Amino acid sequence: MKYALKRILTLLLTMLLVSFLTFAAFELISGDPAQTILGTEATPELLAALREEMGLNRPFLTRYISWLAGFFSGNLGISYRYRIPVWELIAPKLEVTFWMCVVSFVLITVISIPLAVWSYRFVGGPLDFVRTAFNQLCMAVPTFFVGILMSWLFGIVLRLFVPGDFPDLHTDFGAALGHLFFAAVCLSIPRIAMTVRMMRSTVIGEMQKAYVRTAISRGNDRRAVLERHVLKNSLTSAVTFLGQTMAELVGGSVVVEQVFGIPGLGRLLVASISTRDYPVVEALVVILAFWVVLAGTVADLVNQQIDPRLRLGGDA
Amino acid sequence: MKKKLNAYLLAGLIITGALLLLTLIGAFHTPHDPNAMDSLAKFQRPGAGHVFGTDNFGRDIFSRVLKGSGTTLAIALATVAIGAVFGTLVGALTGYFGGIVDDALMRLNDALTAFPSILLALLVISLVGPGKYNVVLALGLVFIPSFARVTRTAFASLRDVNYITSARLMGASNLRILAVHMLPNTMRVLLPAITIGFNNAVLAEASMSFLGIGVTPPDASLGYMLSEAQSMFARAPWYALCTGGVIALLVFGAGLIGEGLQKMDREVA
Repeated sequence: MKYALKRILTLLLTMLLVSFLTFAAFELISGDPAQTILGTEATPELLAALREEMGLNRPFLTRYISWLAGFFSGNLGISYRYRIPVWELIAPKLEVTFWMCVVSFVLITVISIPLAVWSYRFVGGPLDFVRTAFNQLCMAVPTFFVGILMSWLFGIVLRLFVPGDFPDLHTDFGAALGHLFFAAVCLSIPRIAMTVRMMRSTVIGEMQKAYVRTAISRGNDRRAVLERHVLKNSLTSAVTFLGQTMAELVGGSVVVEQVFGIPGLGRLLVASISTRDYPVVEALVVILAFWVVLAGTVADLVNQQIDPRLRLGGDA
Repeated sequence: MKKKLNAYLLAGLIITGALLLLTLIGAFHTPHDPNAMDSLAKFQRPGAGHVFGTDNFGRDIFSRVLKGSGTTLAIALATVAIGAVFGTLVGALTGYFGGIVDDALMRLNDALTAFPSILLALLVISLVGPGKYNVVLALGLVFIPSFARVTRTAFASLRDVNYITSARLMGASNLRILAVHMLPNTMRVLLPAITIGFNNAVLAEASMSFLGIGVTPPDASLGYMLSEAQSMFARAPWYALCTGGVIALLVFGAGLIGEGLQKMDREVA
């Protein structure tokens, strides 16, 4: 419990740091928002009035704190481009990206762990080279390239979904999930390869430990030892890695959403960056960062539940 | 220490070497002018005249891929150079001296590595604007923390090794210890990190340019060309296939080299 509290405190501190850095960075470089909104032709009186209205006359720290408070009250400011509250813009897209990442995460977990155990059989054999090369190849092909091929094959040729025409998540959840599925597969491929690679080397490392030798010399067969003991001991590294995966998926979603025409956070981020819609970018960065840090924290807490040894040491 | 080339390293070196050679030649000579439009030769299939075919303007795709991979490679190498040099510097100083600076920098490092690299790069780009130099700046900055982390561990583990203590007793300066005695011994972690960094750089640059917030015309990188290719995939699938294939080969080659280096390291150990 003490460990959990400590971990959550770290999470909050990290988020405070991240949000402060983000706010300061945008403050420093983005220039005068009033000027951005009104353009270069604005009169000084109009500019002053808008600055007053947006609260830009207040000191830096006051504005930071009220901006931070916005994450709890849902008041994140107004988008420069769409002139609607940032939160209204983000909320529906957050849902879409969330579901895509969930589908992808499930795929990665369900496929990579059995695959890693299965591929352990080839260690040292002649197929090892083929397997490793294939693994590297899966990591090498850019997701957007796979995405182009997949949206052509499944979208245009087989007509399983319509690229760019995303069904509404609330009225037609099944169809939307079907659309997301292809994007999720595309997003998963390199991560599956990475997870298999990581799991495999963990299992190899674990199999060389003394307790495995003991178990085998007592007459257990390798496979039973692998499944009963080694997998259990490899679980914590797997959980940590999957936590990182959850974080990486958010980064990957930026590209995949573009290819498949999915209206998620990534597309919004890219569009907002291109149009310099700073309130949206700022909010998105903090939300995505929170996602990433949260994934890491959850992974650590899960590990602590799985492995009692981590509970004794406190720091893992 | 016996060093034996293994199959991974060999295959990786061959692939990467061939691509580098082609790109290098492409920097000085391309079979066609990469920007010359030819309205009579639109959408030609790959064949004798145009090895990779032509695009919607009748431009020779092979020549464009050569130029594009030059841009991609230059960006990736510059990025890795920035990340590796500054990252190693930070890693060396924090790992060797330790103390409060070490703690503070590593906290910051944790916060930064928590972000997916492409997200941080996008953030930097949103602040400084797109363009090839800004992409190098953004990705270079983003790669510093991961190099710092890897090298810090290596430097810290060497700090109390006997030969370092001996060197210190003989009066070697800190700079000499770091540069002459420690740096060569961190190569076994630094080299694989460089190959991984190179791959991440190629993929990140390609993704950013694909999204339209990386390299801007008239510069064309492979990622930018793929975004062009996507819009004409039905008419000219070879454009996307050739461009995407070259990106994949670049990353694949470097990935194999990394795999080979790590394997070599395990066998030596």
